[in-house]
Amino acid sequence: MLIMGEVRTGLLQNSAEVPESDLSSVLGLLAGERVRISRRPILHALSPDLLTGVDCLLPSAAQAKIRGVGTVVSRCSITGGRVVQSSSYVRVTKAETGHRLPWSHYLARPGVIEVLGKAAAADLADGFLAFGLPGEHLDVGSISDRLMDTVQAAESLDRASPFRSTQTRLRWVAASGEPGVRFVLGEGVERRVRITYEGEFSTAVLDLCEDLALHDWLLTTLLVIVERARIGAAPRAEVSARLAPAVDALLHLWMPGARIHPSLAPLWESLELAPGFTRQWQSLVERVRDQFAVNTLALLLRETNPV
Amino acid sequence: MTTFSEVTAERQIKSAPLSHVSVEVGHLYLEDYQLGADRLREQFALVTPWLETVRRDWRARVPGGRARVSTCFLIDDCFGRFSTPAEVVPMIRKAADDNGLTIDYLARESACVSADGVPLAKLVADRLVPDPPPDTRGWRRSTSETGWLANGVRSPMPRSGQAMRGPLRWEPPSQNAKRGHSIFVDVELWKDGPDGRVWSCPFLASVWQLLRLGLLRNEGELPVQPVSAGDAFPADWDELPPVVRLNPAATPFSAYTTMSVLSTRFLQVELAVRTILSQVSVDPEVLGQVQERSADERLRLAEQLVDRVSYVFL
Repeated sequence: MLIMGEVRTGLLQNSAEVPESDLSSVLGLLAGERVRISRRPILHALSPDLLTGVDCLLPSAAQAKIRGVGTVVSRCSITGGRVVQSSSYVRVTKAETGHRLPWSHYLARPGVIEVLGKAAAADLADGFLAFGLPGEHLDVGSISDRLMDTVQAAESLDRASPFRSTQTRLRWVAASGEPGVRFVLGEGVERRVRITYEGEFSTAVLDLCEDLALHDWLLTTLLVIVERARIGAAPRAEVSARLAPAVDALLHLWMPGARIHPSLAPLWESLELAPGFTRQWQSLVERVRDQFAVNTLALLLRETNPV
Repeated sequence: MTTFSEVTAERQIKSAPLSHVSVEVGHLYLEDYQLGADRLREQFALVTPWLETVRRDWRARVPGGRARVSTCFLIDDCFGRFSTPAEVVPMIRKAADDNGLTIDYLARESACVSADGVPLAKLVADRLVPDPPPDTRGWRRSTSETGWLANGVRSPMPRSGQAMRGPLRWEPPSQNAKRGHSIFVDVELWKDGPDGRVWSCPFLASVWQLLRLGLLRNEGELPVQPVSAGDAFPADWDELPPVVRLNPAATPFSAYTTMSVLSTRFLQVELAVRTILSQVSVDPEVLGQVQERSADERLRLAEQLVDRVSYVFL
C-alpha cells in the first residue's frame, strides 16, 4: 500500500574521521552479523537491520483511528567516517483479518505493519509527512533517536565533534507508480520526500532516501558554516578559521547518487535539474575556496609589503 | 557491461543441510543420571514407539517415502556437571541400542551458550523482538535491559509513594494475543551475577530448537558443525565437541521441523521456549533458503516458526 520512513542525519561525535578499522565496532549492533563496508567511491559502513515491534495508531491527516501492528526496520550508516544516519521504515499493508494475530505472524514479515481496518494510503502519507507530535501515534523518530544515541555512545568515539551542527529529519513516503520524486524543504530541520517507483519495492528506494538526506544535510551544514563565518564582516583570518572545519570534514563527501541503484538514478538527476543540489554545493565550495585564496593572498601581500 | 562489487559490502549466507524432522529422544539431567542406566532404558522404551510414528508419518508425506529423520540427545552440563563423557556417552548408547533406538547426534547444553567460540546465546538474545502490547508506539525499555520476556502486559506495579494514597486496586496482567481470557507468561532469560551472565534453561532450550531448525548463522556461516566421533570419548565435558555425530549414516542434524519426546516435567520449560521462539527474529534470507528448499521437495512448511516445533509429552 505505502512505504514510509524517516532518516536522521548528523555529525558523528568524534574529533577525527573514524577509520575503517573502527567502523565495525561502532555499527556492530547485532552479534553474529557483519557491518557491511564499501570503500568505493567513498567509505560507507552499514549496520545490520534491527527490528522494533509496534502496535499503535498510525498517523492520519483526517484524524482517523487507524491501528497498525508489525515491525519497524532500522539501520545506521556512517559515510566518510564523519556523517552518521539512522534510518527507519515500514511497509504498510492491509491485514487479512480485523484482529491482531500471534506475534510470530508479524515476525515472519519483518518491516511490515498491517493495518487492522480501513485506511487510505494518501491519508496515511499526508499524516506521516505532517511531522505532528507523536502523541498516541507511531513514533518512528523514537526508534531512530535511540539507534543514533547507541551509535554515538560507542566506546571508540571521543564524543568531541569538530564543529557544531544540527541533525536533519527527512521523512519519506513511497508508492509504486510513474517514477518521480518531490522534495520539500521545511523551515527548520524537517524535509519531506515523496517517491513513486516502478515495479516492486526494494531497499534501493531506502538507499535513495538516505542519499538524498545525506546530501541535503551536507548542503545545510555547509550553508550554516559559511553563514557563521561572516564573510565580509569578520577579519579574513577569522573567516578562514571558521571555514576550516568544512574543508577538513565536509567538502570531499559530496557524491550524489554514488550509492544508488541505476534504475533510480533518473530521480536524483531530476532533483539536480531543479532545484540543483550540486549547483548550490559547487557555488558554496567555490566561495569557501575563494575565501582561502583571498586570505592567502592577503597574507602573502602583508609579508611582501609589511606595513 | 561493467560490474564492480566489494566483498566486504556483500552479505553471503551459507545454507544448512536439512533433514525433514529432528527428533529429540531424550534430555539427560544430573538427577536422571544418578538413577542409573535402567532409568535411561525405561525412557528409551517409552520413546521408541513415538519415533516409529514420526518416521511413518514422514514417509507418508515425502514423495517416494524417503524421509530424512535424524535423532538427537541433549546432555545437560550447565546446571551441575556429572561424571565424564567417556562414561556417560557409551552408557546412553547402550541403553538406546537395547531398545533398538539409534541416537544420531549427541549435544551438550553448554554448546547453546557458546560453541566453537561463537556466542550462540548472545546471538539469539540480540535477535529478540519483544511482542509489543497494544499502544506500543516506538522504542521502549526492552528485554535486553531487564532480562525478562513476556507474552503480554504485566500487572501494573504501584509506584513509590502511591501506597500512601489509599488502597491500591489490583489490575490483571494481559496476554497480547489472548482469546477472550489471558494466559500470561513471563520468562526469565538470564541473571547477571558476579561470575557473569547465567542463561536460563528455557533460553538455552530455545537456542537448541533454533540450532535443530538450522536457522542460526554467525557472519553468514553455520555456527555448529557436527563432529564425527569414534568409540572413544574425552574425560572432560569441555573437550566434547558441541554436537557429536554418533551415527555415520545419519541424515543431517538440522531439519525443517523438530519433534521432542519429553517427560511432562518439561511442559513449563517448553511453554517458555515457545514464548521465546515466537519473539525471535530469524534472518529473512535464511528463512527464504529453507522455504525454497522445502518447496523444491514439494513440502509445505508452517509459516510461523513455533508451528514447526512439536512435542510428545510422556
